Amino acid sequence: MRTGSQGGRWFSFLKKNYREKSIKTIFFIAALFGVITIFSILIFLLKETYPLPTDIWSFLSGTTWSPTEQLKFGTYPLIVGTLLVTFGAMALAIPLSLGGALFISEIATHKLRSIIKPAIELLAGIPSVVYGFFGLIILTIWIKDFFGVPTGETWLAGSIILGIMAIPTITTVAEDAIKAVPREYKEGSLAMGATKWQTISKVVIPSALSGITAAIILGIGRAVGETMAILMVCGNAAIIPTPLWNTFSPIRTLTSTLGIETAEVPVGGPHYHGLFGVAVLLLVITLIINLSAVYLLGVIQKKHQAIGKKKKPLLPMKVVDYIKKMFTSILLIILLFMLYLTTGIFITGILVFLGLLVWYWRKKLSKRTLQRIAFSTIGGSIIIIIMLLGIILGYIIFNGMGALSWEFFTEAPRNLGRAGGISTALIGTLYLVAGAIAIALPIGVGASIYLTEYTKEGMMTKIIRTGADLLNGTPSIVFGLFGFAFFVLYLKLGFSLLAGQITLAFMIIPTILRTTEEALRCVPQSIREGSYAVGATRWQTIRRVVLPPAAPGIITGAILGIGRASGETAPIMFTAVAFSAIVPSSFFEPVNALPYHLFTIATSIPGSAARAAAGGTALVLLLLVIGFYSIAILIRNHYQKTMKW
Amino acid sequence: MAEKEIIKTVDVNLWYGEKQALFNVNMSVLAHKITALIGPSGCGKSTLIRCFNRMNDVIDRCKITGSVFFDGNDIYHPDADAVEIRKKIGMVFQKPNPFPKSIYENIAYGPRVQGNNNKKELDIIVEKSLRIAALWEEVSDRLHESAIGLSGGQQQRLCIARSLAIEPEIILMDEPCSSLDPIATAKIEDLMTTLKKKYTVIIVTHNMQQAARVSDYTAYMYLGKLIEFGKTEQIFEDPREELTDKYITGRFG
Repeated sequence: MRTGSQGGRWFSFLKKNYREKSIKTIFFIAALFGVITIFSILIFLLKETYPLPTDIWSFLSGTTWSPTEQLKFGTYPLIVGTLLVTFGAMALAIPLSLGGALFISEIATHKLRSIIKPAIELLAGIPSVVYGFFGLIILTIWIKDFFGVPTGETWLAGSIILGIMAIPTITTVAEDAIKAVPREYKEGSLAMGATKWQTISKVVIPSALSGITAAIILGIGRAVGETMAILMVCGNAAIIPTPLWNTFSPIRTLTSTLGIETAEVPVGGPHYHGLFGVAVLLLVITLIINLSAVYLLGVIQKKHQAIGKKKKPLLPMKVVDYIKKMFTSILLIILLFMLYLTTGIFITGILVFLGLLVWYWRKKLSKRTLQRIAFSTIGGSIIIIIMLLGIILGYIIFNGMGALSWEFFTEAPRNLGRAGGISTALIGTLYLVAGAIAIALPIGVGASIYLTEYTKEGMMTKIIRTGADLLNGTPSIVFGLFGFAFFVLYLKLGFSLLAGQITLAFMIIPTILRTTEEALRCVPQSIREGSYAVGATRWQTIRRVVLPPAAPGIITGAILGIGRASGETAPIMFTAVAFSAIVPSSFFEPVNALPYHLFTIATSIPGSAARAAAGGTALVLLLLVIGFYSIAILIRNHYQKTMKW
Repeated sequence: MAEKEIIKTVDVNLWYGEKQALFNVNMSVLAHKITALIGPSGCGKSTLIRCFNRMNDVIDRCKITGSVFFDGNDIYHPDADAVEIRKKIGMVFQKPNPFPKSIYENIAYGPRVQGNNNKKELDIIVEKSLRIAALWEEVSDRLHESAIGLSGGQQQRLCIARSLAIEPEIILMDEPCSSLDPIATAKIEDLMTTLKKKYTVIIVTHNMQQAARVSDYTAYMYLGKLIEFGKTEQIFEDPREELTDKYITGRFG
């Protein structure tokens, strides 16, 4: 037996310890990156805003945005436009998404769910420029003909497109929240003789409420930050609709202002600073929106963890109830109003009448009938969602088929895209995406390994995770402006492949980080302990036991990132692309890219030949992105089935 | 064989965040004996056993003071390396936790992470470990199938075999039978008696009959304190503390 506490067999100052430490440092640097990025974006945008061409008050409240002729920089109409188009979108998206989420999580059979869920996720994969293209050539025409208005490029068109785009975000987050309600709650309620609908409405929805609210807020964030689709269908007149509820008025948002004007702005002039002011405003708005969603999602996590812990409520229950009721009724009134604006008095009247009828008779109706009414409403919303998906996909495919040919893929565009093919754009997109993923994957995966495996939960992880969440909610156009100011101008990379790749990478890091983190967390702690217990080091444990089962999840995240990067227009519009660019031979030349090519020929090149080429480009882009998303979804579903713990 | 003190704790206190889970625990574990830790749920027995191989290191906000001596050396000394310690002190967990790999790779994992990749040696280690764990007969024809397909009892014996593969001196078992049926439990208990010839076994159990059946020494814990420690017969037949007596006779717990 040894004496003393020095020199034992297991006292080691081996190299292995230094290796472990340096590996940890590498991951830490990756994790820090997320935080630094968000702050540097904010700081750099602020720096470019100075000097603002007008004082802050008239910047926010001035009613005229005319940066070149009148030199007036009033963003009020832009803010109003953003709010109105978002409100309209939410009036469409919230009821449909909540119905969809309830249907998927509570009503659908396993088989039905396995079809509908991926379908809704596909809806999320359609690039915004494709939505915009659909809106431009179909929706606006329908609105023009159906309502007999001079142009269909209106607030209404923007709200409908934006609403459809927000559906997948709200549905998936709300569904997660509903799924997180412990099964015991539901079983408890059912065991008391409650019907399924009573259980859903009285137990499931109340316990998932903060998650559902967070889902709505994230949907709002998505809508506020959307650029390309809005820019293509809203008419872009910087006016406040008269009267305010005139849904057939053209409208201009903060994002579309940036999208339209940034490319042509003289650097360093008052207009340039004004635009960066708009970007800062947009960033601040989305930061606030996303922070509140992050906060709410944190609340649910705590709620489900803290079962059994008693905490004194902040306010008396009565006051909370009162606030809840007031909040609900305000929300209901807004929803009704938006419904009226978008669908007119007739449909709203019928719905209100039906609603009141059910409300009045609900005591007299049997539980069974109530359940039937509720379930058919929910079923109706899922049918509408699927129909929307079908119409959009069907139209894009049908419209684009004719343009596809071997030459379309292999030839460069000629005559401003009217003839020839899209080879340069296709290759350019692949270059951009390959570079972006090469940068984003190591950083995203490294950061999430650091977050899940190396840290104890604390201030640091909270900051990093919040940074990533905020980065995730930052509008893509803001990335575009940051890339323009930082990479193109400040680092003097010019409009170049490299600048585009880095900007896109910044944008997809959060996607990769989040999915990887989720995959790592799915590996049970007990497996890690099993590995430590036989004397494995932390890095050995991560590499041999944690990463292999998490690999499918990580690959899924990477592919989702690829899909997102290949469909994005706004981040590359001011950093990398040029319409007639050829395939670049170095990192410092501009490229053409599919989404940008589509955007340009759909909006700027007249003639039926251009229309046909745009249809073909939209189809190729859609197939490319949906292809990536489908692969990701397939991998995930396959391993979800085979992985059992 | 002379009775050798292989583990000795001195004034061990442990906190999870604000909450203190262990209070001044002082006890000794003799080599080649089975020592059982018993007590009602939440008494700190699992926490204590996890101190012996520094498994609490992986839990957030866990703070520990005092010393745990293994062979006379403090494993909580600032220079002590938890990884090296765990090679000497293996652990089997409450729920079987095989890796999602083949049976063979589960056992070979320990030797492999320590740098042994010699196929022949690994073959020998795998067979030997499975034989000691009384699992060889049942799985020898499907060594390269996934361990996840085994029954609960087989998985737990696999985990025991996995801990044997690195030739530890002590095997810690944290309620190893709590998720097993009586037949699988009996097999594990037999196994423990075999194991003590070569190893020292420390087991946490909430099943008092099990403690009485298999252990040589028993420690009774309550609310994070070590109430009584002694030979198993003495604890069960002639407890000196009233609390122990009440628990043993089933009047609370």
